[in-house]
Amino acid sequence: MSAFRSSLAALTPLSLVALVACSGGGTAKDAAGGPDSAKKWETRDTLVIATPSDIGSLIPVKPRTAADSFIVANLSVDTIDSDFDCTLKKKPGLAKKWEWSDDGKTVKLELDDRYTWEDGEKVTADDIAFAYELAGDKDVASPRFGFLEYMTEDARPKVVDDTHLEFHFTRAYDRDTQTAHVSLTAMPRHILGDADRKTLEGHPFATQPTFFGPWRLAKHTPNQSVVLEPNWNFTGPETMRPKLSRVMFKVIPEYSARLIALEKGDVDFMEGVQIADVDRLRKEHPDDIRVVLRGYRAMDYIGWNGSKYEPFNDLKVRRALAHGVDQQRIIGKILTGEDGTVYGKQAISTITPELCGVHNENVKPLEYDPEKAKALLAEAGWSDTNGDGIIDKDGKNMSFTLVTNQGNKRRADAAVEIQSDLKKLGVDMQIDFKEANTFFDKVEAREYEAFLAGWSAGLYVDPGDVWGTETPDSPKPFNHVLYSNPEVDSLIDRGLQTPDPREAAPIWQEVQAKIYDDQPYMFLWWQNVTVAVSTRFENTTIDLLSPHRNLHEWEVPADKVKYKR
Amino acid sequence: MQFLKGIPWKYAGRKVLLAIPLVFGVLTIIFILLELAPGDASTKFLNPDFPPEVRQMVIEKYGLDQPAWYRYFIMMRNLAVFDFGRSVTHERPVWDLVADALPNTVILSLVTLIVSYPLGILMGTWQAIRQNKPDDTVISVGSLFFYSMPSFWFAMMLQLFISYYLSNFVSGLVDAGSLPGFMRVFDFDVSGMYSNDLLIAMSMDEPWTWGQILSDPLGAWQERFPWWWERNLSMLHHLVLPGLAMGIASSAGAARYMRSSLLEVIRQDYIRTARAKGLSERVVILKHAMRNALLPIITLFGLSIPYLFSGSVLVEMVFAWPGMGRLIIDSIFAQDTPTIVACFFVSTLLVVAGNLISDISYAVVDPRIRYD
Repeated sequence: MSAFRSSLAALTPLSLVALVACSGGGTAKDAAGGPDSAKKWETRDTLVIATPSDIGSLIPVKPRTAADSFIVANLSVDTIDSDFDCTLKKKPGLAKKWEWSDDGKTVKLELDDRYTWEDGEKVTADDIAFAYELAGDKDVASPRFGFLEYMTEDARPKVVDDTHLEFHFTRAYDRDTQTAHVSLTAMPRHILGDADRKTLEGHPFATQPTFFGPWRLAKHTPNQSVVLEPNWNFTGPETMRPKLSRVMFKVIPEYSARLIALEKGDVDFMEGVQIADVDRLRKEHPDDIRVVLRGYRAMDYIGWNGSKYEPFNDLKVRRALAHGVDQQRIIGKILTGEDGTVYGKQAISTITPELCGVHNENVKPLEYDPEKAKALLAEAGWSDTNGDGIIDKDGKNMSFTLVTNQGNKRRADAAVEIQSDLKKLGVDMQIDFKEANTFFDKVEAREYEAFLAGWSAGLYVDPGDVWGTETPDSPKPFNHVLYSNPEVDSLIDRGLQTPDPREAAPIWQEVQAKIYDDQPYMFLWWQNVTVAVSTRFENTTIDLLSPHRNLHEWEVPADKVKYKR
Repeated sequence: MQFLKGIPWKYAGRKVLLAIPLVFGVLTIIFILLELAPGDASTKFLNPDFPPEVRQMVIEKYGLDQPAWYRYFIMMRNLAVFDFGRSVTHERPVWDLVADALPNTVILSLVTLIVSYPLGILMGTWQAIRQNKPDDTVISVGSLFFYSMPSFWFAMMLQLFISYYLSNFVSGLVDAGSLPGFMRVFDFDVSGMYSNDLLIAMSMDEPWTWGQILSDPLGAWQERFPWWWERNLSMLHHLVLPGLAMGIASSAGAARYMRSSLLEVIRQDYIRTARAKGLSERVVILKHAMRNALLPIITLFGLSIPYLFSGSVLVEMVFAWPGMGRLIIDSIFAQDTPTIVACFFVSTLLVVAGNLISDISYAVVDPRIRYD
């Protein structure tokens, strides 16, 4: 409560007088308290990143949001680092070397022994083992629990010595995924060993952590800002020393406030700029703001639920509806900028087109052809027999409701466009906007006829959750449309058990082709994620993996520095 | 001490006792509403990125699978001893979260109240004196305009017109040398409590521990003081726009009440008497009329304490002011029942306190009013 009292006191007139009287005071503590200047290297300027919410938890096994993970990635060094270029390209991080046994069931890691925690303790294999201990603890309820699924009980992992450890698996599987599963960020046992696991997220470490990466967290002011500064005790390679003096995450919940702050220069960086605003930024701030596209990671689709609305069980009907919607026109309308830049791409599967080797480029989206659509519907027995403008079969009109979540303008616009296209076929589609939680509850319970939703695609391929057949032993809560195709099931199984991603790629391509033929969804489009950043910054890495990766490489030329401190 | 005598202690005590069932009633309704809403704190784990076991673990950890009446009973039992429990999303004691946020909201609301009421009273008085003159009409139309404007919309307009256009204009002129440097005071940040420069500086500052302060009080004072004033001045500067967005409506409201109340009082016989005695108009208005005309404003003042608290929710979101409004909205979206309950507990207390303050102050200023 001391902050409370001092802030209130500031508002009394008496203290205001005192304030003015002492205005000559300096900041005596500036120089003190920091590390020896001898250890410092040259840095300059501050990057201010606008973020919609405060950090949740910087505990690697318990991140609350994707933004938390991006910050942790800069505070620490990934066990096995990666770049992205069509596929994930692995490279050494905390681990110098990693290798598989011949049967693919054992992964051996050798750690780089030069890394130390901020407090000087060595980072050892045991710290990695500790991270897995936490991830596997039911009291922690870690979202990373799944990493341990195929690890044997006695080796999750087995610590050989301070720099060597082994992970043993009950089966071999896709090596990209397996690599991710052995790369959980190390956690300091000497700090968190005694922490109460049930309330781990409430531990001070969650907002004031200690890591071993190029940056350290200097100050977290709840709901206001997080300031990172170079970790002056960093023991990793010199090339990884930060070139900026600070990175500040500034919490601004409102989109419009973030945008004005960006245009004014209060912040240097924001994610998810809407297309209309990108147009304006390009026009009004061509010299000081740069818009970067991160790539396709989010898609929209319509799910057809045959168990709730019987006509959707007919493949001809589903294909007809896909032929009847002019996706190119809709993309041109809602995902295209004034200058003609297109921010969308027609989707043919739930695998992102960015995974170039895996995404099936040979599957061509069903073309817009209303005549063909009408013919297919007629073949399926649907025509307007009673002359009311809506096609019918056995006395029932084709009339259904599409549900989607409130508050997503892109989806709302898309739903209206699709509705008008379908009307031309004589299909009556009503739109129902539901509050997000209600919507997802309904989708989960499969209580809808058709729904417009989206997926955010991972970079590891595992279509089993969404497309695997649901059985009593193996519930598939994300197979919302109850898709079932035994051929696809066996292909997915085969793909998941193929260790070499290059060998698995053709299998995934076949899976995509088969699913697209079945049209369980009307696959709509992928949207490109936009990021706006001040042109002051050079050497920036903004990509599919993170909106702000490798912050230690970001820099500002000496003549453009804005924040002098 | 005369003032203390006027307080109806018995009445106040009865009101406080009556507030206890009220608070529990409100919390019960909140709990029922939360139960009726779809989903719970585990819903966010319903995502293909997480194995289904995780959601199950979360449900077990927080006892979300227990029947509602059982969780209600546990919650009420804990509340009876002021144990608000831990936030489900932050895993921190709820009271810590409230303690982070509440002071900021109190500052925002208090400053708004302190500035907006005197301003409203001033405007209302001016209008009453100059009844039906052009300036009365202009203020009337103006205050109706601001009174009927949604505060969040006004907040966004302030950001656009003041902190973007005006600030850019002013700092452009200062940079060009056409305006002196102190004019930068009109350069308002779009949001937040402190300027970027100050946030950077604050990150370099090592906080003093209580041990250090006690062993070296003078040193602590000398070192902390420059910080302290820089920090608070920056905060006052950042209070201007959110305070304006929130206060302008209450100011306009107070002006409307003040005008009609004063007009009514001026027509009373005792005012005519005062004038007949040959008192100056100034004394008549300020000494004789104002005191009585202020009575309804006092009621309004007490009642607007909780109103300001709830009104700050949207303004806090727009201006990224880290107060209770943000905490309430975030915890509602996360379906974090303990935090939501604690927030409403605080706001119910404020409603009760506001009512009580206006009742009591009424009795204090007007000896004719007696609560029996």
